[in-house]
Amino acid sequence: MSATPIASSPPIPGLPSQNHPSRKRVGRKLRSRSTPYFFLLPFIVINLVFFLYPLFYATVLAFYQTNGPARRAFVGWNNFAFVLHDPDFHKALWNTTIFAVFSIGLQLPLSLGLAMLLNSKNDRFKGFFRLAIFAPNLVGQVFVGIIFSVLFAPHYGLLNRFLHELVGWGLEQQWLGNPRLVMPAIIIAAMWMYVGFNMIYFLAALQNVDQNLVEAATIDGAGPASIFWNVTVPAIAPVATFVVVTSTIGSYQLFELPYNLLQNNGAGYGPSNSGLTVVGYLYQNAFTNGDLGTGAAVGWILTFIILIISLVQIRLVGSVGSES
Amino acid sequence: MKFPYGPAPLVILIIAMITGIGLAVWIPLSRPSGYRAPDLVLATFVPEQADAYRAALPKFEKENHCKIQIELVDQQALQSRLQSALQVGADVPDMVELMYGTIGVFTKGPIQDVGFIDLTDKIKTSGLYDRLVTNRLSKWSSRGHVFALPHDVHPVMLVYRSDLVKQFGIDVNKLTTWDEFARVGREVVRRSRGPDGLPAHYMIDLPTDGNDALILLLLQDGVNVFDAAGNVAFDNEATVNVVCWYVKQIEGKTRISFPCGEGQNFAKAMIDGLCLFYLCPDWRSNRIELEIPSLAGKLSLMPLPAWKPGGLRTSTWGGCGLAFTKKCRNFDLAWKLAMYLYYDPAQLGPRFAATHILPPLKSAWNLPQFDQPDPFYGGLRLGRVYAALAPFVPEEHYTAYQTIANAKLSEAFTSASLYYQAHGDVGLRDYARAELKRCADRVRIVMHRNVFLYPPSAQVSEASGK
Repeated sequence: MSATPIASSPPIPGLPSQNHPSRKRVGRKLRSRSTPYFFLLPFIVINLVFFLYPLFYATVLAFYQTNGPARRAFVGWNNFAFVLHDPDFHKALWNTTIFAVFSIGLQLPLSLGLAMLLNSKNDRFKGFFRLAIFAPNLVGQVFVGIIFSVLFAPHYGLLNRFLHELVGWGLEQQWLGNPRLVMPAIIIAAMWMYVGFNMIYFLAALQNVDQNLVEAATIDGAGPASIFWNVTVPAIAPVATFVVVTSTIGSYQLFELPYNLLQNNGAGYGPSNSGLTVVGYLYQNAFTNGDLGTGAAVGWILTFIILIISLVQIRLVGSVGSES
Repeated sequence: MKFPYGPAPLVILIIAMITGIGLAVWIPLSRPSGYRAPDLVLATFVPEQADAYRAALPKFEKENHCKIQIELVDQQALQSRLQSALQVGADVPDMVELMYGTIGVFTKGPIQDVGFIDLTDKIKTSGLYDRLVTNRLSKWSSRGHVFALPHDVHPVMLVYRSDLVKQFGIDVNKLTTWDEFARVGREVVRRSRGPDGLPAHYMIDLPTDGNDALILLLLQDGVNVFDAAGNVAFDNEATVNVVCWYVKQIEGKTRISFPCGEGQNFAKAMIDGLCLFYLCPDWRSNRIELEIPSLAGKLSLMPLPAWKPGGLRTSTWGGCGLAFTKKCRNFDLAWKLAMYLYYDPAQLGPRFAATHILPPLKSAWNLPQFDQPDPFYGGLRLGRVYAALAPFVPEEHYTAYQTIANAKLSEAFTSASLYYQAHGDVGLRDYARAELKRCADRVRIVMHRNVFLYPPSAQVSEASGK
């Protein structure tokens, strides 16, 4: 209590300072208050320089056309209007949506199925299979793109050879040269890569299902299907929501896989742009055509689309989970 | 004295200081003694060229008392970094080798904004213009201004499996037009069809995506994706002819081709003789020789069949050029270096022997290396046969919209191909014509959005596409 009046009393000129201890105390207090901010400083600086400033600049850029450091022209909403009316953007959005739908519709049930198999009591080879199924995710989309471009090759590709030996069909099938087969090829490659990744989430969720509830349901005469729908699904619903949302966001950000898978195609995204995705369209505009303004506009439109879809999904899946 | 924020931050601070000081000291120390900063930096994306330049540099450096640094950078990385650096006015190398088709990206705006030195006058006043294959300059030009020196000519021929061609009784001297070539090809496919209905041999390797090969064939028929003024020029009757011919060779009953792809699939297809003929620019002849040695003595070369009797028997595929950035520290020295590396006969002879790449300097074709028979190709004098076609390679024009134009041309081609699959020949020409027009108009709309080249008053209306 006595510290406050001493600290606030004016210093007397010519006399040795009597408030040294209190100054020290104030300094210590300041230091202890500022310490967290010093620790946060690197994050704040990095965030400002590499996230907030680019975000702000991208917003500004979306309303301009630029050519080098010297020239820029304000074009208003023109970049957004162009993108929204561009048939290539519609195609990219359609392709990406098809990919997202199949990613969720095929990959996630498969991931859940594999997770349930690996969650069974017999755990002799559990670790091996877990690693084997997860391993494709370790190599990255660029690697998968290159590997699958060889696997899908007509006549000499492993997939066509296998199909030919198995059913006598498909030796000359052009997975990456036929616009109707490009998207299935991308979905197959992505499935190989991501099924194991999502499986790990489901496996973790399944291991946390309350076994007392499962036993109680069994005693009450519930069959496996009934236990799955009434016990397992509600228990894993939060994880499933997370996986659905992150898979959707990841699907809408798809770029490296089709880009590398179709790199031998001179146009870059398959015949008739059949492998063009929204981020591919962004890259094409911003970096191939050198139109950074339109690229920024595509980025904002994509952000908006992902935001809307994610909110709808969270609401839908959340309500399903709570009803269950 | 106690560190006010505790021991952990103190340790982090000490580590940061040690590594910072270490880096600051290590960089100068890691340089060899007598280190001298380079007078010029040349960036390239071709490993073989970087090696050749490095080997040739000591003589040039000694004669000119200078130091040159060659930087090898992946092509895509080089292009995107250069593009970004020029966009923001950051540091760039003094000289840069560019890949064909990319010059347009750098010449997107007004001529005065281009980040490279305009070489038009220099090429003329130095007398270089008369010594080069002038058609190659168009590849590195924009609106009549030349921004890079051509490294090569890249005439295209057909390489063929001479053993199999002999087996089928084909006289390559009679394959003078593409129609005749296709007729013979149908016979080859018919004769080699197995019990499962699949042919063991096709006549030619043609991709089905309508890109490099289609563009090469269009160039042979005098069609450029863009004209010299930078206008879209692929929606015309000549393109309709080539597209219709092409789709009939890759689809349906008349099919004579197989898409062998690149790399190991291409090599395996050649070894198996899956196709008899393959498009072969000069650079590919060397790659085949290096990568498929087992085919020694089984291959030969012939000029492309023409579109019309007596027509052009070659085209062009690929290329790179040397540009001088506006930040070049010593243009005179850089020009001297370019003349030494690109057009010095003492360099070009051995380089042709090592790479088979034909230089655009016409006088170099008289060097002894260009007369050497190549046993791999049955003793053919490769330099001589490619040089005979080199003066006739067609002009090429590129703009910043090359990628989208290629993609749209490919789209029209794929649509025509799907139409042919579904409906056959009936109505194919009209359909291909309409698709080419639609796709070309789309490119025009995208191009006319460029307010720096097309002021808003001149902008195209989306509806008319004009």
